[in-house]
Amino acid sequence: MEDIHGIWIEKYRPLRLADMVGHRDIVERLQSYVNRGSLPHLLFTGSPGVGKTTAAVALARELFGEDWRMNFRELNASDERGIDVVRNQIKQFARTSPMGNASFKILFLDEADALTTDAQAALRRTMENYAESCRFILSCNYSTKIIDPIQSRCALYRFRPLTSDDVKEEVRRIAALEGITVTPKAGDAIVYVAQGDMRKAINALQGAAVVTQNITEEQIYEISAAAKPEEIASLLTLSLSGDFEGAERHLSSLIRERGIAPNELLSQCYRHLVAMELDRMLKVELIDHIGEADFRISEGAQGDLQMEAMIARFVLSALRQRGIDQH
Amino acid sequence: MDWVEKYRPKTLADVIGNQSAVHELLEWGKGWTIQKKPLLLYGKPGIGKTSAAYALARDLGWEIIELNASDQRTKGVIERIAGSSSTTASLSGALRRLILLDEADNLEGNADRGGAKAIVDIIKKSRQPILLIANDAYGVAPEIRRLCDQVQFRAVPARTLAPHLKFICATEGLDCDADAIRIIAEEAQGDIRSAVNMLFGSAVGKDRISHSDIRVHQKDSRSSIFDMVAKTLSGSTDDNSLIMLSREVDDTPDAQIQWLESAVIQHREVWRRTLSLCYLSRADSYLGRTFSRQYYTLWRYASAIMLIGTSAASAGSGLRVKISPPDRWKRMGLARRQKTIRLSLLNRCSQAYHVPEKTVSDEYLTPIALLADASPDRFVRALNLDADQLALLIHDKARASAILKEIEKQDKEEEKRKAAQKVAMPKLPEEEMDTSHRDTVEKTPEKKKTEAQSTLFSF
Repeated sequence: MEDIHGIWIEKYRPLRLADMVGHRDIVERLQSYVNRGSLPHLLFTGSPGVGKTTAAVALARELFGEDWRMNFRELNASDERGIDVVRNQIKQFARTSPMGNASFKILFLDEADALTTDAQAALRRTMENYAESCRFILSCNYSTKIIDPIQSRCALYRFRPLTSDDVKEEVRRIAALEGITVTPKAGDAIVYVAQGDMRKAINALQGAAVVTQNITEEQIYEISAAAKPEEIASLLTLSLSGDFEGAERHLSSLIRERGIAPNELLSQCYRHLVAMELDRMLKVELIDHIGEADFRISEGAQGDLQMEAMIARFVLSALRQRGIDQH
Repeated sequence: MDWVEKYRPKTLADVIGNQSAVHELLEWGKGWTIQKKPLLLYGKPGIGKTSAAYALARDLGWEIIELNASDQRTKGVIERIAGSSSTTASLSGALRRLILLDEADNLEGNADRGGAKAIVDIIKKSRQPILLIANDAYGVAPEIRRLCDQVQFRAVPARTLAPHLKFICATEGLDCDADAIRIIAEEAQGDIRSAVNMLFGSAVGKDRISHSDIRVHQKDSRSSIFDMVAKTLSGSTDDNSLIMLSREVDDTPDAQIQWLESAVIQHREVWRRTLSLCYLSRADSYLGRTFSRQYYTLWRYASAIMLIGTSAASAGSGLRVKISPPDRWKRMGLARRQKTIRLSLLNRCSQAYHVPEKTVSDEYLTPIALLADASPDRFVRALNLDADQLALLIHDKARASAILKEIEKQDKEEEKRKAAQKVAMPKLPEEEMDTSHRDTVEKTPEKKKTEAQSTLFSF
């Protein structure tokens, strides 16, 4: 198992519910299932990296103790999303009786929203027929993609994105255990790149720790191939002031010298724009430019060219806005 | 044990709500003869359809055999299980075997190839009662639907649900305040199972629940979409909070656009209305891109444009907006139903006349409609249409259902006449008379059984 422990997200995955960061209300309820030794079917929703899998595994560990692996099975629905997986694999696991002292098993179905509607329909009766011997924990990003009959069979838990404090707390804990130092600014950088996703945060931390024991802001941005917030801010300011040459130079240094992918830049620009104080109609127009570039790149257009064109449109929109204001 | 199973009704008398549907079901079961059509129970999830079917079987002492979408429903499997049980007597000595086809609206797809046809065959051949269960009656293949009588189960109103929840609390020795019960009953939106689950989820590990314990368990929070529309239209909420809010709302962005649309058209000023609609349309085209490319990153642009855009267009309007579910949903529901009917009609014509469906729709529909109008009963018989399909052709709902009723009556009389003839005939070559069933060995015990039953049920 040593090789898995090499990856920090596994090494530091909380083993007990009480060790989880954030989600106090949810953890408290899950804990009470453990205390009673009973469990309904559960549906976890929330964006990636907020602790859905961790909660499921911790729940199984606490319910089953040593034997947890025998009575817990994890399936990722996005790998196998057809109806056959429900009819074969899931049924197979659900209908055999639990091992050891456990009174039921747990099937954890990750990314259940990737299951086809047919497969979900098949799942719903399986859940009911084998409820005696097997409880289901479904996890998904959007609960609306889970068909109503299944939602109606589950207790729904909505995991909110983790707060900056949650992320910082976990980073501090791991840093202490690994004997590395993280400057406060680096902590902020981790929060910025992670956007509430603990998995991203820990990966950034581990990536930086491979290089040095004293982690700084720069290393975090470098390792996660992201631009610094200030760099994005100045890119936007330059374009909005109408300085196309300046903005273009800045852009090409980010792409060519720093090697930041256009997709990442688009995401960062989007986040900054939304938060910016700006005339709202102009803001919507600029967001539309980002979206258009994103769409074209996803269609196979060249990233560099589309990024430049986006900057050019920014400049044009800003100039036109200024013209309107002067009138 | 989880409470949904624990408090599943054991007899029909325990079923919550849907009194008339339950009554209809019981009457059907009590008076079941081989001539009776199967029943199709349909309605939203979690309102007691499957429970009612099991309770019926228990009340009448019938054995139950269930087939559902989680079993493989290819033709062979269905015939092996249901086909045999419908023509042979039960080993355990139960009076009858009730064949339950759950999720009858989920027969689509390759994995169930031939499933619909097999079910039609079974219904026609079966000598045992059959119940079909579906969420959407129109999701059931039309050839199956036509062979069934339909019974609708309705969402259970909160005032019916609340006493049941109270009963559970009392049985479990749980102290639950009236507000909590009320919230659960309302949030469940008529879904009993979801209500019981919510109660169970909030109650675990506690001796008493108050309304504050319920929040995390809501199936779907309608309040937040109202909140989102109101805050967007106010024009004074900052953009980041709007986007956060829209993420918290459980409705997907495409639904959100429609909620916003039905709000912004209430603006008095033309420029506000038009500008908002421009933004919504732009957002909508991003959604289209998202879905057609399966590239979900594009979702955020749709959200940002619709929220920030309509917010900008609405700022300072002082509009007291009336927020309600999009009007077009009702219309779309209707349109969808019309569309399925139309498709089934086209399919039928296309098969009958050996012409592609598209050609029927483009060129033949008008003459067919005229012919159907002239002699509707002949058309119904020739194409085996139902009332909805006929109504679509002759544009007259009342007349169509009257014609269908008349035809049914004629058919029954015809059957009676035939039966009377059969009795009048000399008794000897019985198996030759009954072409549908040639198995003489099986026939005799089966006959006796029916007699035994009729005495049992005559009390």
